Amino acid sequence: MISVAPDIAKVTNAIDPSELTPELTALEMKNLSLHYGSKQALYNIDMKIPKGKVTAFIGPSGCGKSTLLRCINRMNDLVDICRVDGAIELEGKNIYDKDVDVASLRQNVGMVFQRPNPFPKSIYENVVYGLRIQGNNDKRILDETVEKSLRKAALWDEVKDRLHDSAFGLSGGQQQRLVIARAIAIEPKVLLLDEPTSALDPISTLTIEELINDLKEAYTVVIVTHNMQQAARVSNYAAFMFMGELIEYSDTNKLFTAPSIKKTEDYITGRYG
Amino acid sequence: MELNLNKHISGQFNDELEQVLSHVLEMGGLVENQLKDALDAITNMDSSLADHVIATDEKVNSYETVIDEECTRIIAKRQPAAIDLRLVLAIAKTIADLERIGDELCRIVKATRDKYNNDQKQFLVDLDHMGRKVLIMLSKVLNAFARMDCDEAFEVYQMDKKIDKTYESITRELMTYMMEDPRAIPKVMDVMWATRSLERIGDRCQNISEHVIYFIKGKDVRHFNREQIQATLENN
Repeated sequence: MISVAPDIAKVTNAIDPSELTPELTALEMKNLSLHYGSKQALYNIDMKIPKGKVTAFIGPSGCGKSTLLRCINRMNDLVDICRVDGAIELEGKNIYDKDVDVASLRQNVGMVFQRPNPFPKSIYENVVYGLRIQGNNDKRILDETVEKSLRKAALWDEVKDRLHDSAFGLSGGQQQRLVIARAIAIEPKVLLLDEPTSALDPISTLTIEELINDLKEAYTVVIVTHNMQQAARVSNYAAFMFMGELIEYSDTNKLFTAPSIKKTEDYITGRYG
Repeated sequence: MELNLNKHISGQFNDELEQVLSHVLEMGGLVENQLKDALDAITNMDSSLADHVIATDEKVNSYETVIDEECTRIIAKRQPAAIDLRLVLAIAKTIADLERIGDELCRIVKATRDKYNNDQKQFLVDLDHMGRKVLIMLSKVLNAFARMDCDEAFEVYQMDKKIDKTYESITRELMTYMMEDPRAIPKVMDVMWATRSLERIGDRCQNISEHVIYFIKGKDVRHFNREQIQATLENN
């Protein structure tokens, strides 16, 4: 057998996010700024989120990472005093254009929150909720979607015999996977995860992390996490934010072994600046 | 370069890093003395000093075990990242090189002790001369490690070429001795092996200089040539 020496370039050289071509880019933020009233929370963010990869936002509390995540499916529209400048392009189309329908945007950009928030319905009804809202009541399609989504969310084997029981009977980790199944049932392009494991025990956390890794095959995943090791474990790209600014954004291996900016290094090594 | 080892929010982590680093420097000092003693033992044909060199190696070995254990614990408990991770990795590799230097020194004193009479001292002159150069290299690389000084590390890196040249010329000279007097071949061969060990110590020092550069710059410069390393140092 001929053995070929591993190519170090393949191990270390991921594409720099600034050099992503349009085909490889899921989302692009262009000069994005955000104000809550007179207080500016995000400053001129320019970044490209790669398609089919996991991108993590890290940074101290209040640095704007959740705010930035919420901009991606216009959750901030619900805050009266919030003003967004600049653009976020999803497949070339600015999601802040006037003609964009927010409901259909959110079909393309699903979101999962810190605390699992299943609806007070059965497991089955939770998963098909989005489809029913779209007016789809074909039982065959609904059944298929439930199985497919729950399988993708690595929950099918645990709940297949009690699909019509209340979702509240599930454990925290199972509830969070159910919520992820609900989010992917409507086949979004992008999945936003806002600290999805911070309320979970370590084993459920690992299950969700494994799930995130599987999900990136089909979806672009953007995750906000307080847990740096989690960002290091699950993400392909990582962005460090500080006081509303994007300080450093690069492939995760580089960010966690040899970051270029001192502030990033101080944060990820647990030093005070 | 400022290390800021004491700037972690976790005071325990600061203490652990400081302790492992001070153990590495102690180990380095021990090996440096071991080399000095080995050279003195050869030059003065002092066999009790040669015994001391061999005995010191046990201490060097225990330092390696202890430091390895400390590194393992830090990785398991603290999950170091970025500069901290690179420090732990650089330490783990450096102590392996230091331990091997200790082994080479034992080999050198074992090969040369109680073998040469005053007439044969000429075989050993150049060995001592080369050994002093290697000693400077080792002292400098340990300084570079202690001060985290890339420039000094690069100087050490470049010194290895001169050591290699000296090794070649000593080899030629020893071959002349062998040709002049074939009866001396076994003894000259022993000096040749000792010289070879010194040359290997030079290589180990060069390795350590590469670990220092990796730690500070975050670039793996092993298997780079001189110009590539210089470019790396200038670019950062």
